[in-house]
Amino acid sequence: MAKLRVQFESGEPERVIEFDPARAPFQHDGRPGSILDVLLAHGIHLEHACGGNCACTTCHVVVKKGSERLSESEEAEEDLLDKAPGLTPTSRLGCQAVIEDPDAEIVVWIPRYTINQISGHGG
Amino acid sequence: MAVELDGRLEAVVDHGADTRSLFLGLPVPFDFRPGQFISCRLPVGGEILNRPYSIASSPEETRRLEIVLNLVPGGPGSHYLFGLAVGAAVRFTGPWGSFVLDRAPEAETVFIADGTGIAPIRPMLRRGVATATGRPLRLLAGAAARDRVLYRDELDALAREYPAFRWDHVPSAALADEVRRRWVDGDADRSRHFFVCGVGAIVPAIRDVLRHAGYERRAVQYEKW
Ligand SMILES: Cc1cc2nc3c(=O)[nH]c(=O)nc-3n(C[C@H](O)[C@H](O)[C@H](O)COP(=O)(O)OP(=O)(O)OC[C@H]3O[C@@H](n4cnc5c(N)ncnc54)[C@H](O)[C@@H]3O)c2cc1C
Ligand code: FES
Repeated sequence: MAKLRVQFESGEPERVIEFDPARAPFQHDGRPGSILDVLLAHGIHLEHACGGNCACTTCHVVVKKGSERLSESEEAEEDLLDKAPGLTPTSRLGCQAVIEDPDAEIVVWIPRYTINQISGHGG
Repeated sequence: MAVELDGRLEAVVDHGADTRSLFLGLPVPFDFRPGQFISCRLPVGGEILNRPYSIASSPEETRRLEIVLNLVPGGPGSHYLFGLAVGAAVRFTGPWGSFVLDRAPEAETVFIADGTGIAPIRPMLRRGVATATGRPLRLLAGAAARDRVLYRDELDALAREYPAFRWDHVPSAALADEVRRRWVDGDADRSRHFFVCGVGAIVPAIRDVLRHAGYERRAVQYEKW
C-alpha cells in the first residue's frame, strides 16, 4: 500500500491516506492515481478549476517528501508551474503528479492559497 | 480573486449542428482578463462535474458572459449544457487561468485557434487591436472549411478596420504544417509571440514546432483542452 501524508498550511490536522495505486482511478478528475485523484476520493477538497486537465494552477501542492517517487513532470506542467503563485522547488500540480509506486511514502503540503481561492458566493 | 456565481442562461445561438454559444446573465459584475475561463459546476447524475469553458466575450461586458462549446459525443458535461433552456441557472467559479493577453502586444502576435479554440482568443484579439500599437496581429483558424470558422464575419470586419490584423483559415489537419511553413521555414525572425488553443495533441505539437525552431519558451503560450 502506498501512503500519502497530507499537511495543511491552514493548521488543519494532518491526514494519512493508504491506498493501492493499482486500483486507480479513484474518481474522475485528474490523471488516474494523481495526488488530486487520491485526495478527492478521500474527501479532501483540492480546487481543480480546469477539471484536472493541466490548464490552471489551482491544484498546486508542495511535495515535502517522496518527490522522486512521483511521475516526472511534463513540459505543460512546468509551463503552468512557472506562473503559479507561491512556487517552490518541489511544487507540483496535484492533477498531474501520479503515485505509481505501491511502496511510495509521500508527504504533501497544501498551501493556504490553494484552499482559499474563491472569495464567496456572489449571487 | 475568483468568485462563485449563478449565471442565468439568457440566450442560445447555434453556429451549426453541434456548436453553440450560451450567453449567461450575471447578478453582479464579473472581472476577468482576456483568455481566462470559468469552471462550470454541472449537476449530472447525482454528482457535480467541474467543466471549464473559456470566456468568448470581452471583459468590457461585465454583466453577461458568452461561452461557445461543442457537443462532444457521449460527453456528460456538454450534453447537459446543450440540454438547458433559456432561463436555466448555471453555477460557475472563476475567473481562472493564465493563458492571457491583456496588454498591448510587444511584438508581432500570432494566434492559432483550432475549432472552438477561438473562444479565449477572441477577447485577446479584440484587446490586441484596441490597444493597437501597429504591431502585426495574425490569426490562423483551423476548421473544416472557411465558412465553418466561428465569428468569421466579425473577424472580416476587424481585418477591414485594423490593417495590422489579418486572418486565414486552414483545414485543421494542416495547421501544424502551415505554422511551420509560415513562421519557421518562412523567415529567420524569432521575435514573434504565439497563443495556441485547441483540443488534444495538435496543441503541444504546434508548441514543439515553434519552441524547437528557436522561439522562446515564454513567447509560446498555449492552452490544451
Ligand atoms: C481550460 C479549458 C477551457 C475549455 N474551454 C472550452 C470551450 O470554450 N468550449 C468547449 O467546447 N470546450 C472547452 N473545454 C473543454 C470542456 O471543458 C469539456 O472537456 C468538454 O465540453 C467536454 O466535456 P464533456 O463532459 O461533454 O465530455 P467528456 O466525457 O469529459 O469528454 C472529454 C473528451 O472530449 C474532448 N473534448 C474536449 N473539448 C472538446 C471540444 N470542444 N470539442 C471536441 N472534443 C472535445 C476531450 O479531449 C476529451 O477527450 C475547455 C477545457 C479546458 C481545460
Ligand atoms: S486542476 Fe487545473 S491544473 Fe490541476
